Amino acid sequence: MQSTEVYLAHFVSLILYIGSLIVWLRSLVKGGRGSDPAVAFGLASLGVLIHVYALILFTSSYHQLPLTGIGPSLSSLALVIGLALLGTIVFGEGRRVGIVVIPVIILLETVAVVLGVEPSFEVMDFQGAWFSLHVMMAFVGLGGMTLSFAASSLYVIQLGELNNKRMGRLFQFTPPLVTLDRISRVGLVTGFVTFTLALVLGWFWTISFRQSLDQLNPKVMWSIMTWFVFFGVLLTRNLSRMKPQRGAWASVLGFAVIVMSYIALRIFVSTRGFFL
Amino acid sequence: MIPVAVVGVSHKTAPVGVRERFSFTNAEALALLESLRDYSGMTEGVILSTCHRTELYVCSGSDFDLIDSAVSALKRKAGDLVGGTDQYLYHYSGMQAAEHLYKVTAGLESLVFGEAEIQGQVKEAYNLIRNSSTDRPLVGPILNRLFQSALAVGGRIRSETPVGQGAASVASVAAGLARKIFGGLENRTVMILGAGSTAELVVESMERNGISELLVSNRCLGHAQKLASRFSGRAVHFTEMSFSLKEADILVASTSAPYTLVTLEGFRDALGGFREKPLLILDLAMPRDIEAEVGGEPNVFLYNVDDLKEIVDDNLLNRKASIPVAHDIINESVSSFLDWNQTLEIVPVIKDLRESWDQERKNQLEWLWKKLPDLPEDEKGVVSGFSKRLINKLLHEPVSRLKKGVGNGKGEDFLEAVRYLHDIQDLASESAEDSEDDSVLGHSD
Repeated sequence: MQSTEVYLAHFVSLILYIGSLIVWLRSLVKGGRGSDPAVAFGLASLGVLIHVYALILFTSSYHQLPLTGIGPSLSSLALVIGLALLGTIVFGEGRRVGIVVIPVIILLETVAVVLGVEPSFEVMDFQGAWFSLHVMMAFVGLGGMTLSFAASSLYVIQLGELNNKRMGRLFQFTPPLVTLDRISRVGLVTGFVTFTLALVLGWFWTISFRQSLDQLNPKVMWSIMTWFVFFGVLLTRNLSRMKPQRGAWASVLGFAVIVMSYIALRIFVSTRGFFL
Repeated sequence: MIPVAVVGVSHKTAPVGVRERFSFTNAEALALLESLRDYSGMTEGVILSTCHRTELYVCSGSDFDLIDSAVSALKRKAGDLVGGTDQYLYHYSGMQAAEHLYKVTAGLESLVFGEAEIQGQVKEAYNLIRNSSTDRPLVGPILNRLFQSALAVGGRIRSETPVGQGAASVASVAAGLARKIFGGLENRTVMILGAGSTAELVVESMERNGISELLVSNRCLGHAQKLASRFSGRAVHFTEMSFSLKEADILVASTSAPYTLVTLEGFRDALGGFREKPLLILDLAMPRDIEAEVGGEPNVFLYNVDDLKEIVDDNLLNRKASIPVAHDIINESVSSFLDWNQTLEIVPVIKDLRESWDQERKNQLEWLWKKLPDLPEDEKGVVSGFSKRLINKLLHEPVSRLKKGVGNGKGEDFLEAVRYLHDIQDLASESAEDSEDDSVLGHSD
């Protein structure tokens, strides 16, 4: 019964996210005119709200945070990305990054639901505050990276429109370059800082409770590689301040590398049902 | 027939020198409409007076010649013109007048096709007359409906078609580009090279969007100072141009120099080889002031006059592609206005019909009370209530069908038939004479 409610809430939020995406696409076709962007953002906000409720329901039903097990973890990550999207409201037109962010959320939540938002049976070691903080910070880091990717993708598109001297619907819909650059930078810096803290906490936790870093664990490998990607993107951005398009491309490629390596590890390395 | 007519001049029929003779201030518009109402058969009127058009919309319930009166009024306003006034004036009546207002409001008749400003101007003109404190209102049910529907049509066309999409002038394209690069123009510095009229237009447009600082550089410092003072800017000596370039976010070049003013090498020297913030360059000069290679520099967005014109042309082409859809919306709205207007015609007929039947009901009740003098008052009340109910029931179906028939375009025939069958034109005298006769209800003793 509890499980049904958790799934139902996930379905409702998924429908709201899909509705939001449809309205974003309609807004794109209209060149961003009218009230569609506000409606799309409103639907996404409602989706996030229901998503929060779904995960609270999960926590209260199973007496564990949705931070372990592939389904709950992906759902939590989707929620963090959704919250990051809500944060873009301070950037005005910048909230239109939703058109890129929402599909990522939909994908993550769909996979979570398909694989099952069920409690993990290997949670004995994973109930402490330090571990929860470690995972949450890692998710915030990945959320920041996703936001940076979304803003950078739109930046690259808008730059193309400006350089090719096209002022069509895509140009009208896409937020200003300066706004996109700012969102990308904020997402990246926030993401990098929190992800670094997450790794430090993870290292501390593993050493304290398991007496070994377990470097060959695919999750650890992936996390370290992700940190290096973050660092590389940040470095590229700072070294090429004169050429923000390079920074934007770095964010897009960095995100692609993180996602691809995650998928590759999921496929080729057997795991024990944790986040990875 | 819609009792509306419009007479006017526009950029399509008259040059600016003529159009300004027809221009009205608010007070003049009100005075003219009051005079038309008082001394001719006009019942309602609105004057739309903008830079590109002056139009007088009039309406009358009687058969007086609306167009002649309106034409005369406009001719008086313009005074004597070489070659006469008629050559500049156009006029429409009935459905064409309604259609014309819809097109005007949607921007389909504007100089810049699809521009949105006209929607606000129509609204302003309508509100001015509607809210004027004259002893009798100048806008009645017909023009109220017509203007409100025109504003709705304008809004609908703009939201459902690309008629208002994309900038349609060099100045607005420039402002749009700046907005899409910098977000807002607040806290941005604009630098102008030269003092050409197009550059002035661009600066005007940007100033409306709130730029923080304007630098004007010209060979003649006096000219630079003059232009700078107009926009509360700062004049910069031509020799200091390179130095000031570092501060600028937007550079508008429009000098008449016969050679390139800013070469790639000069540009790099001016910036000291490093520029972190974007720079939008609008080269409106012919020949160009800025070397094309400058556009290849990082963070620099260079547009010359052809680029901007191409964008404007593309946008206009895109706007014009919406004409068929816009016309469909207009036709639908004209038809709907026509239907509404026809339903107006049946209101007095239905009113007269009801009054006629009610009068007959009262006559029959009088007759009944005489026949039954001992009927108690409460029972009289019941009988009276029943008679009202019966009349309403009997009239309900014919009135509904009459309304539907009018909506289907059979209005005139149906109204004629109702008038004839019930002889409702001369109601007062009929009702007095026939109090004892059998009524249309078919009651008899």
